[in-house]
Amino acid sequence: MTASDQIGSVTPVRRRPYGLLLVATPVLLVAWLVIWPIISAVIQTVWTTTPQGQGAVSLDTYSFFFSDGYSLSNLSMTLWTTGVCAVLLLVVCLPIALYLRFSNTRVAVYVQGLAIFPMFVPSIILSFAFIRVLGPNGTVDLLLNSVGLPHIRSPYLTPWGPVIGLVWDNIPLTVLILLSGLGSVSNQAVEAARDVGAGTLALLWHIILPRISNSILVAISFAVLGIFSAFTLPYILGPAAPEMMGPFMQRTFRELLEPKTAITQAVVTFGFCIVFGLFYVRSVAKNRAA
Amino acid sequence: MKRRDFMLATGFAAGALMLPRMSFGAEGVIDVYFTSDQNVIDFWTNTVKPAFEAANSGITLNLVDGGDGAGVSAIADRALAALASGSDPQADLFEGFDSRVTVDGIAKGLYVDFEKAGLSNYSKINPLAFDIPTNLPYRGSQVLLAYDTTKLDPANVPKTWADLVAWIKANPGQFIYNRPNKGGSGGNFVRRAIFEANGNDPTKFSVDNYTQESGDAMLNPAWDILKDLAPSLFDGGAYTSGNTQSIQLLSQSAVTMIPAWSDQTLSAIAQGALPETTGLVQLQDLGLPGGFTKLAVLSNGANKDAALKLADFLLTEEIQSAVLTELGGYPGVSWDHVSAELRERFADIIPTTIPTFPGGDWEKAVNDGWYRAVAPNVDPAS
Repeated sequence: MTASDQIGSVTPVRRRPYGLLLVATPVLLVAWLVIWPIISAVIQTVWTTTPQGQGAVSLDTYSFFFSDGYSLSNLSMTLWTTGVCAVLLLVVCLPIALYLRFSNTRVAVYVQGLAIFPMFVPSIILSFAFIRVLGPNGTVDLLLNSVGLPHIRSPYLTPWGPVIGLVWDNIPLTVLILLSGLGSVSNQAVEAARDVGAGTLALLWHIILPRISNSILVAISFAVLGIFSAFTLPYILGPAAPEMMGPFMQRTFRELLEPKTAITQAVVTFGFCIVFGLFYVRSVAKNRAA
Repeated sequence: MKRRDFMLATGFAAGALMLPRMSFGAEGVIDVYFTSDQNVIDFWTNTVKPAFEAANSGITLNLVDGGDGAGVSAIADRALAALASGSDPQADLFEGFDSRVTVDGIAKGLYVDFEKAGLSNYSKINPLAFDIPTNLPYRGSQVLLAYDTTKLDPANVPKTWADLVAWIKANPGQFIYNRPNKGGSGGNFVRRAIFEANGNDPTKFSVDNYTQESGDAMLNPAWDILKDLAPSLFDGGAYTSGNTQSIQLLSQSAVTMIPAWSDQTLSAIAQGALPETTGLVQLQDLGLPGGFTKLAVLSNGANKDAALKLADFLLTEEIQSAVLTELGGYPGVSWDHVSAELRERFADIIPTTIPTFPGGDWEKAVNDGWYRAVAPNVDPAS
């Protein structure tokens, strides 16, 4: 570089390239390890070689996917699981986050520790522990039986198995994101509302929720992205069919040895995930602009 | 020397020094990657490795747990890339591996063709075990039925397929098998149903006689048998996702009977994962099928010749007998090629024929067909 550049770099306008240089590494890595595989996956699924040896664009694998009842039921199963998990996560995590934000007691510290704990449990261990506890003749069953209550119908190997496992697994991240959002709700605002006579529900609806709507969106996007492509929990705890997309893709790739079909399933999955990714990006952009 | 050249040269030298030594496939060290479980790696560590190294001085084995099939096939994919670039794959032999998994691997000559490799013991292999020339079968095992003797009197245990079906229907919810692609115990139970639907004749199925029509004609009746069983299975038609999960349900007394691998069940009983009261039984009309574990040797490995020597060594009477006595498995060679004493000792326990079902297209058809035909008929909310 020349001397004039260095002198020029003192002015704010000329400093910009340095900032870009700093982000160049992650941007290049993302382009190489994320963007390029996506493009190459899409190309692989639409580009076929005709029997004459010529390349041609064909959407056969996609039309098979969207006309195949089995694939579609797997997709709708995945959407159902993701949706139910997202709702349950919000129902479970919002009260925990609110409690942690507004409580100063010692118990809150333990509750926070407990809420973060699932983060440190590998999902394979969680799965087998789940079978032990909630499975047939598991701990819950034994406890219920000991006080004369009937057997529960175990959620193991039903669609509710992965739902319970995934919700438990995603609690820490959701609570942490909601908690950071609740940090922007000032005590003064809450007290001011209380002073003018706002009840608990009104406080939640008019003061707290509007301020954390962004965090809720981010938390849900993160959870949805993880759940949509989850593998271990649906694989071990879920029913044989319909499968979620994660196990379905893996099975198509490894056991049916049909990489192209598997990539098509991956592209479809990606198409759904990108919607939530865009939600997240939009909310971050909105935050930066504000 | 120009400054740039100098920088390049020193950079290379420094880089080479910094590379860990392990990153080169060392001369005389055979890198073996396993997909099998710990008991198999223990068998290699305690039996195969000392015997082979004693017989071949200067060659040592480096035994690496590849985790699972996916783990080793990722290493195989790397080896294929290394083949294209002419570099060292840093691996020589894959245990418990199907060379078909590597896309284009066989076509590009990544794996040694054992028919042409000139192994002295190759002719001893059990004819039932052959698959494709790039897979070398070296040990086998068989699925049988494991049951809870406290709930089912061994005197009344079903010994034929018809009895088993009658028992399952008479005791709804007491039987479960795993998804056929997620573990051989359920997989071979499904294959036994396929044999049942085809006159109990395993010879009707060979690795190269699959066609769409024959597949539909021979598999659809089997799906009907299994669909008929579904409502009487555990939870009205649930299927575990692996051998271990089935054993866990048996140990939790949630079911009374499961199909299970002989060796896995024996070690589960020995380790206390299953109670001593677990009974084992094999169907007498036609046994539940077994399978052979295969290995593949890389054609571009640094120690290809030594790895082939090892593959040949695995088929010797010494190791094949140890598979029986130490591992609890079945030999990969024909029964004529294990010692007469062992043949006599195991004659009562192990049938002289293990029905086998071919891999390849048939396996694919089973894995796909079962999911489409049998599994979805279960209403998840029932």
